Amino acid sequence: MNESTPSRRVALFVTCLVDLMRPRIGFAAIRALEAAGCEVIVPEGQTCCGQPALNSGDRDHAAALARRTIEALEGYDHIVIPSGSCAGTIRCHYPEILADDAHWLPRAQAVAERTWEIMAFLDEVCGWRPEAARCEGHATYHDSCSGLRELGVKAQPRRLLKAVEGLTLTPLAGEETCCGFGGTFCVKYPAISNAIVAEKAAAIEATGAGLLLAGDLGCLMNMAGKLHRDGSKVRAFHAIELIAGMGDGPAIGEDA
Amino acid sequence: MTGFKTRADAALADPVLKLAVERTAGTAEAKRALAVEAFPDFERARDRAAAIKDHVITHLGHYLERFEANAIAAGAQVHWARTADEACRIVIGICKAAGARTVARSKSMLGEEIGLPHALAEAGIGRIETDLAEHIIQLADERPSHIIWPAMHKTREQVSALFRAKHRAPHEEESIAAMAESARRELRSRMLGADVGISGANFLIADTGAVCTVTNEGNAELSLVPPRVHVVTAGIEKIVPSMGHAIPLLRLLARSATGAALTQYTTFYTGPKRPGDRDGPEEMHIVLVDNGRTAMREEGLAEMLRCIRCGACMNHCVVFRQIGGHAYGGTYPGPMGAVLTPALDGLERSRDLPHACTLNGKCQEVCPVRIPLPTLLRGWRERSWREGLEPVSARWGVGLWASIARRPRLYRVVAALAAGSLRLLGNRGWIARLPLGGGWTRHRDMPRPEGRTFMAQYRKEKRR
Amino acid sequence: MSARDAILARLKGASSPSLRAEADALLVAPERPAVDAAALEAEFLARLALPSVSATHDAIEDLSALPDAVARYLAAQDEPPALCLPPDPRLAACDWSGFTLHERPASDGAAVLAVARRGIAETGSLIFETGPQAPMLPNFLALHHIVLLPVEAIHPYLEDAPLAGPQPRAHYWITGVSGTTDIEGTYVRGAHGPRFLHVILLRGC
Repeated sequence: MNESTPSRRVALFVTCLVDLMRPRIGFAAIRALEAAGCEVIVPEGQTCCGQPALNSGDRDHAAALARRTIEALEGYDHIVIPSGSCAGTIRCHYPEILADDAHWLPRAQAVAERTWEIMAFLDEVCGWRPEAARCEGHATYHDSCSGLRELGVKAQPRRLLKAVEGLTLTPLAGEETCCGFGGTFCVKYPAISNAIVAEKAAAIEATGAGLLLAGDLGCLMNMAGKLHRDGSKVRAFHAIELIAGMGDGPAIGEDA
Repeated sequence: MTGFKTRADAALADPVLKLAVERTAGTAEAKRALAVEAFPDFERARDRAAAIKDHVITHLGHYLERFEANAIAAGAQVHWARTADEACRIVIGICKAAGARTVARSKSMLGEEIGLPHALAEAGIGRIETDLAEHIIQLADERPSHIIWPAMHKTREQVSALFRAKHRAPHEEESIAAMAESARRELRSRMLGADVGISGANFLIADTGAVCTVTNEGNAELSLVPPRVHVVTAGIEKIVPSMGHAIPLLRLLARSATGAALTQYTTFYTGPKRPGDRDGPEEMHIVLVDNGRTAMREEGLAEMLRCIRCGACMNHCVVFRQIGGHAYGGTYPGPMGAVLTPALDGLERSRDLPHACTLNGKCQEVCPVRIPLPTLLRGWRERSWREGLEPVSARWGVGLWASIARRPRLYRVVAALAAGSLRLLGNRGWIARLPLGGGWTRHRDMPRPEGRTFMAQYRKEKRR
Repeated sequence: MSARDAILARLKGASSPSLRAEADALLVAPERPAVDAAALEAEFLARLALPSVSATHDAIEDLSALPDAVARYLAAQDEPPALCLPPDPRLAACDWSGFTLHERPASDGAAVLAVARRGIAETGSLIFETGPQAPMLPNFLALHHIVLLPVEAIHPYLEDAPLAGPQPRAHYWITGVSGTTDIEGTYVRGAHGPRFLHVILLRGC
């Protein structure tokens, strides 16, 4: 990146799941964004985007959390999130949730317009490619639904992963089919969710790949958890970990 | 009536059901994909289809009056029904006035919706289902499990056994073609002797008063042309301004349903037999049925009235593919059914349905008229929440969690505690049993949190 | 209040003076599969051959050749020269000696002949209307549906199918043989209607 180019001030929204379960994804995001020439800030006020309330039908709490999150994320050039579903909530649903609120709607829209799923951001906005990332391995990629259908995240992660040295990607049969996670769905209807993820796990195994990659930790935990229960040797990572050159670390569910 | 979960669990435990659903829905999915690929303007065609339906729904009263006037001018009799009961009473009344002993029915989901098969039975009127799948359903004394393939839940082996038990001259060779032939033999003579033919409508054409049906088997024509009376039951949303407006919708209907460019038989019936005509019914009755549709239009579900009943949403639904249609418990299964059933049967009785969805958006992606099904399902969830129909545990859980998430500092403390205690439950990176999280760990392991939360680690790193 | 008035009362909206224009605008430049207008016959025949349509075809130069073409088809199908003929003067003018003719086909087995008003290249559809010379039922009862179609009656798109003005009792499009996918999604032909559809193109006048 040219020294004279003013760098982009990017707010990283790590998501509640990454914060709690797998901070490595947050650090990988920072590393990749900095490599792409961004100044990364992690706003203090962030917690959860409110998607669980939104999808449960609890509109009041969803709106309260949306306001809280907007407040925390205002004032940056971009807001970048290592999750298609949380980015989708902010970008597509905040303006809906606050549509009747004259004060908050413009603020929701301003934040929504600046919000990006991280791999789409690195690819489309920064035009960046990993330069020193290496990961010897054979991987397959699952397209998480919200990122795919709400934000159009499809080619971007594949373009970035192609630049990771040593990595080969085998297409996953049914790569656009939901893994059965669905947020609270997986605990409300565990038997249905299990039947769906069992098919996904079988499709992953059938690729022969040793690595499973995706862009959403919820889906990854669902698929990795099923694979592990079934005794599979497939290791799961958020794609940004490999893109940031952190593919040599522990996979999901492996102790450091 | 058992609950959704009980029915879904039973469905999941039935490997034959899974096999049957997969065979048909899997084929339909693959064929639709080929049809879309061969139609480069498919996406814009969907925009147009949605716009046509929206135009009609906005001006529904106007087009219904036009349709009525033109249908009457063509010699048909038009009836109006507010409810399912009212519709059934009208149809039974027509059948009785015609002295009908048997009716031939051409598959109609609206007929199922209003409970017409049951009403005919109660009135002591014999019913011959002429669509092959409906014939299977009638022999098995079941309800349809899909709007295009009512017998989707049955394997060929099950259909074969059923035909052998019930047909007068069943198939000898064990093939699907031979089974279809057996049904043809069985049904042919019986349907030609019916006193009344009953159909639904795929489209009602406002400017001519015509009723359009589409079939692949030709059973509609064989059921509706020979009897003395033809009765149509149609939802009021089926109207289009002209035949020209039906064409863009017809282009999408078959492609979305079966992957064909068009159904084999597309027929527009305008009134009864004319002087000099060699065949056709002497009376044509059209029953326009509301049954909750005007309410849907008023209550934020107008987009659902775009539906042209192609079944693509259910064929592509991960939940439907696992549990089939019967588990949904209503007339209409899958994503469109999860939106319609609360409107038709009441939200109290069906509040599970809008939740039994991962909101993955695939249904909306394949819908030929771009119905925002996930948004409509979310709308039902909100209404259920507002009306206090959600279980206390969910209300309490979401409320508690939200009140913590609104307070970042408190949230950090709780997250750190959660990370710490979850780590204690794990063994070598994985948690095999999670208290209160049995829904997760019954079927899969939960990765153990990596260690301290991101926020804690990040702050520490920044301080260095 | 009657059911009619109750339903319409809930649907009263602002009636728009430009309703007609709005409705017409929805039909401008429709999306449809490409059809080569310079090769309509070839396009039509290509659609007829699709597995979902499964129709066969033949061509004659003159209407007087029709009985021979029908006889040829029936012989090839191992069917007797028996035919249900609609009371259409164009067909009555042909020499049907050697055929057993009847007005109604036997419940199964016999062949029926009909004249299509149009053929649609986009889909391989045949367009019919009912009338005193054109009953509908025989076209659905017979095992073999034989259709005469003048080549100049082939039009490119489904939009060319509707009949302007007053409508006949039934206007219908036949796009292939009767089929069903009701058992396991597997396509089989001859569900209720004709199992065979044979189009005879009339090239001369």
